[in-house]
Amino acid sequence: MGLFDVKIISEHFGVHDARTLDYFERKGGYRSARKACQMAPEAIAAEVTASNLRGRGGAGFPTALKWSFVPKDAQTVYLVVNADESEPGTFKDRNILYWNPHMLIEGMIIAAVALEVRSAFIYIRGEMARENKVLQAAIDEAYAKGYLGERMFGSGVSLDITVYRGLGAYICGEETALLSSLEGGRGWPRLKPPFPAVKGLWGQPTIVNNVETIANLPWIVEHGGKAFADLGTGRSGGLRLVSVCGHVNKPGVYELPLTVTGRQLIDEVCGGIKGGRKVKGVIPGGVSMPVLTPDELDVPFEFDALQKDERIREVEVRPGQKFDLGGNRTLRTMAGSGGVVVMDETTDMTQAAWRIVHFFAEESCGQCTPCREGTGWLAQVAHRIAFDHGRTGDVDLLASIADGIAGNTICALGDAAAWPTLAFLTKYRDEFEAKVRHAHRPKGAA
Amino acid sequence: MRRHPSFRARKAVPGQELSPQIEARIQQLWSRFPEGRAAQALCLPVLYLAQEQFGYVDAEVVDLVAGRLGLTAAHVTGVATFYFMINKVRPGRYHLQICTNIGCQLVGAYEVFERCKQRLGVQNKGTSADGNVTLTEVECLAACGFGPVAQIAEREKPEIPLYFENLDATRIDAILDALAEGRVPTELGN
Ligand SMILES: Cc1cc2nc3c(=O)[nH]c(=O)nc-3n(C[C@H](O)[C@H](O)[C@H](O)COP(=O)(O)O)c2cc1C
Ligand code: SF4
Ligand code: FES
Repeated sequence: MGLFDVKIISEHFGVHDARTLDYFERKGGYRSARKACQMAPEAIAAEVTASNLRGRGGAGFPTALKWSFVPKDAQTVYLVVNADESEPGTFKDRNILYWNPHMLIEGMIIAAVALEVRSAFIYIRGEMARENKVLQAAIDEAYAKGYLGERMFGSGVSLDITVYRGLGAYICGEETALLSSLEGGRGWPRLKPPFPAVKGLWGQPTIVNNVETIANLPWIVEHGGKAFADLGTGRSGGLRLVSVCGHVNKPGVYELPLTVTGRQLIDEVCGGIKGGRKVKGVIPGGVSMPVLTPDELDVPFEFDALQKDERIREVEVRPGQKFDLGGNRTLRTMAGSGGVVVMDETTDMTQAAWRIVHFFAEESCGQCTPCREGTGWLAQVAHRIAFDHGRTGDVDLLASIADGIAGNTICALGDAAAWPTLAFLTKYRDEFEAKVRHAHRPKGAA
Repeated sequence: MRRHPSFRARKAVPGQELSPQIEARIQQLWSRFPEGRAAQALCLPVLYLAQEQFGYVDAEVVDLVAGRLGLTAAHVTGVATFYFMINKVRPGRYHLQICTNIGCQLVGAYEVFERCKQRLGVQNKGTSADGNVTLTEVECLAACGFGPVAQIAEREKPEIPLYFENLDATRIDAILDALAEGRVPTELGN
């Protein structure tokens, strides 16, 4: 069995009755939940610590560390699973919800025991009507079996899981916006700190974790945290679901070791670029993350490597001036949501960049001026450049708008719009400038 | 930021009320929320169900929801206008939603979208003259590897929005033909 054949989550993707409790249990499902119900919360947390599990929602934050922020004397703690998957390029959680809902439920039981949670929520993206049905059916099955509700598996612990549907707002994937939405309001992000782990849903300590993060827990409880860490590399444990779209021969969702590089992903996993063409750019972790050029693809798509490997160029505000991420750090790229977008040599990078900033302009919640106005301007100027009406100075203008947004907003959507803009300009600047040079201008205009 | 049209006030139709299914759902979910928090938390689910019942949410539907949950109309309006999936005006019988975000853009979503505009004779968010199809450009539907992707919702049957993947001129033509005949081409979806 090759390394690419080890699977934690995806083994039963595509199997027709994988989503039934019967099938899941026949394959060993719910053994870990049963075991967890008899474990001390600290013992579960210790395994998660040893596992080096990092959040799969975007930030790669160590899961055990996040859990440890819940105040020890908390009376009510909530667990909220983020199933809002809407970062463009990302389509992995939808597979878990559709093929493996019981794995998510089992993971939630484990997390709930560890965090002493009695009431948990799954915030599912509104557009996922099909997945919502499957998930609710799985939850109903688990209740009927006594795997949820009062005294699960005959133990002393209880858990309710409630599915809450979003109604179409990308920003509700941001954890504090998600909580505002789940409380029944507009999905407005809140300033952090306080972090949700301290003050979240209805003011109570709340752990928000991504679907894939939680779905890894049954394996960790079954095989031990160390085994999970050993599957990974450095400070990142386990495998990772990667969703690949764009100009590859075999787009799809793959569960892969974290050591796989961008080049391996394209050539060995996804069968190369369509039509034998060459790759031009790759976004490694959803459109919020800086794009990589073909000569930057030998770096493993792993959290720390993508942030620090010197083979990846630092993002600049203008030629020669590095973008300041704060605390004297520079920005290369990040593993983000695992949504990989592959662009071949025929791609017009100015149009790709425009579509990305247009998205953020549409989805800004409007609370902070730099983001509300800035994303709108980004979209306007990028559109001008991409569709042959660019004006002299537009390339610098675009960069300075992005720089004005970054770091000056309540939530990370502002950065998510600014970073890719600056990265496209850093790495494909000539293309943007050429577009402006050859723009159609009314006679006599500058 | 999406700027939404404001609601047009409509004369109340006497006797209109939320369906028994909505009432049942409220009863079912109420205890899942802490004391004093349920009414507000139920605002989104009830709005969604009310849209299933009425096809869209206008000032009157807002009043019904606010009245039932004991929330102010201002709060419910604020919520309804924030979320993209709440229709502010009555959509066509079919709501055809095409993703043009990057994964789909790279494989021809704008060509598909243009073809829809042309055949339906509408712009983005427009409804065909016969009231049959509303066309909307939407953001990533989390099916990016199989783009271009569309979702179709049928009025009063919002629970069948299937995904239609790998669209091209032939497939979108077949979809538009079926919608014109008055049916969702489920054989093309998944
Ligand atoms: C604008 C924005 C959108 C986000 N969307 C999602 C999302 O759709 N799904 C998700 O799991 N996390 C999303 N996140 C990250 C969450 O805020 C949060 O970090 C994550 O759910 C935590 O889970 P994890 O620690 O398991 O990764 C988003 C963040 C931002 C700033
Ligand atoms: S950064 Fe943008 S999306 Fe985030 S709170 Fe501010 S305006 Fe809203
Ligand atoms: S970009 Fe179209 S589904 Fe994700």
